[in-house]
Amino acid sequence: MRPPIAKFIREVSEKMSTPAKKSTAARSRWSQPVWVVPGVLIALLLIVLFTKWLTGLPGVQTFLHDFPGASSLPANAPVGFPAWLGWQHFLNVFFMVLIVRSGWQVRTAKRPPAQWTRNNKGFIRTKNPPTKISLDLWFHLTLDALWVLNGIVFVIVIFATGQWMRIIPTSWDVFPNAVSAALQYASLNWPTEDGWVNYNALQLLTYFVTVFIAAPLAIISGLRTSSAWPKTAGTVNKIYPIELARAVHFPVMVYFVLFTIVHVTLVLATGALRNLNHMYGGSDEINWVGFGIFAVSLLVIAGAWFLARPLFLRPIASLMGKVSK
Amino acid sequence: MKIVVLVKQVPDTAEERKLNLATGQLDREATDSVVDEINERALEAALRLKDADKGTEVVAMTMGPADAVQALRKALSMGADSAVHIVDDSLNGADTGRTAATLAAALRVTGFDVVLAGNESTDGRGGVVPAMVAEHLKLPLLGSLVSADIADDGVHGVRQGEGGTLTVRAALPAIVTVTERFPEARFPNFKGILTAKRKPVTTLSAAELDVPAGVSRTVVVATVERPPRAAGRKLIDDGTAADELAEFLVANRLV
Repeated sequence: MRPPIAKFIREVSEKMSTPAKKSTAARSRWSQPVWVVPGVLIALLLIVLFTKWLTGLPGVQTFLHDFPGASSLPANAPVGFPAWLGWQHFLNVFFMVLIVRSGWQVRTAKRPPAQWTRNNKGFIRTKNPPTKISLDLWFHLTLDALWVLNGIVFVIVIFATGQWMRIIPTSWDVFPNAVSAALQYASLNWPTEDGWVNYNALQLLTYFVTVFIAAPLAIISGLRTSSAWPKTAGTVNKIYPIELARAVHFPVMVYFVLFTIVHVTLVLATGALRNLNHMYGGSDEINWVGFGIFAVSLLVIAGAWFLARPLFLRPIASLMGKVSK
Repeated sequence: MKIVVLVKQVPDTAEERKLNLATGQLDREATDSVVDEINERALEAALRLKDADKGTEVVAMTMGPADAVQALRKALSMGADSAVHIVDDSLNGADTGRTAATLAAALRVTGFDVVLAGNESTDGRGGVVPAMVAEHLKLPLLGSLVSADIADDGVHGVRQGEGGTLTVRAALPAIVTVTERFPEARFPNFKGILTAKRKPVTTLSAAELDVPAGVSRTVVVATVERPPRAAGRKLIDDGTAADELAEFLVANRLV
């Protein structure tokens, strides 16, 4: 008999992995945009009114005073962002966009545009003959490798320079402060921006979750589903079944997409020029330098998106293996 | 050396192909049209000769509706030098005999040293057109080869028969058809796709070729949809399964 957890995982992964036909239940009136849009707006309005009332209470006011929304950083924490961080950030965006897209193609392609077989004489050599994978999957895995490399460099350098203190909580008061920041956002009385020096606690926790939880989850679930994972690792494969990895991989992607939407929205809504200068311009000034670099980086990403088609991927893929039909 | 590769635009085998039940003709709307893969292999064989000797001229030829020019563009993007498109409403629904007569007439116009074709198409599965073309042109046919060595002094290759292999040879000009044992075709590259737009495509009509008008000599008697597959029979071993299995194999002449 299957243990219930395995059954649950299987059900979830089945739901996740097969784009099922729309059932009649999914077409209920709640899924109609005409209901959803006003519904969401009313819910948001209620949240705002509720938190406005809540933050007016004396006890909550004391809480907000005690926990202003940001934990204080250690004294030796660096101020501002160096150029290498902006560069790492750009590469991360670049890879992530293409990874999500190629991953989506791997999921949805009924017939891949081409197949790729690694030639076992080059950089990576294995005892067993390499398996044939689709060109989409080759692109996804190649980007993954570059993204992971970029991530490793990032982690090493943030620990070497002390930048880690900006995105890893250093005291427990980060949690009440995060609640405080959430109340301030929800009551439309947004916390004061000081991103050059210190993030607010909610922001810090979100960045921490993204870098140190979501990214590793994406990597280990991706590794498990890839053909690089040994098929004969009996006990390990029983503890960590491929169905679990599949059930994790897709929701993590959804998390990254939602994070990006909220992140970009807040960056643009809380002093766009200054925020963009922080990450792209490496300064705390308010001018168009960071915006310009950001705009160029978007053009580069759009260009890569446009060029990432079989016609141009095939010649690159054939440098590392055999491209066939 | 001038090589003419016969290509046929066929419905994509990856999708469900349909016949129009009223006319008995292919339903071209039902599926995407592609170059038959076996023709791509024939073209690949020609292009490898061209790779080795730049003096080789490769011409792709097709007979088909206006839309079949897509197949020729694909062949041009893979590396063919020029293309010939035989398009004429009077050829609509032509049978293998009429198709072969038309192709032979067109081949006389273009001239060639070698004609390369696939052994049979994935849609018609007739496999007779190359032989008929050879007959019209009074030329030797080296059919269903698994390998071929084409040179200025002649062509020799290995032919796969049901009973064994045959080594065959002929002087040029000759008609050669390839099987799936030939190497997989290359993908068109970026440069190929760009230059394909500028390569010449000659259009020929039935009147220009002077082929007798007339209808096809064969007629489609009936067209029926393939019946859904019947469920198989399950044998459950209650002690007699071995006997039942043996009986099944004997009854279906499988042993």
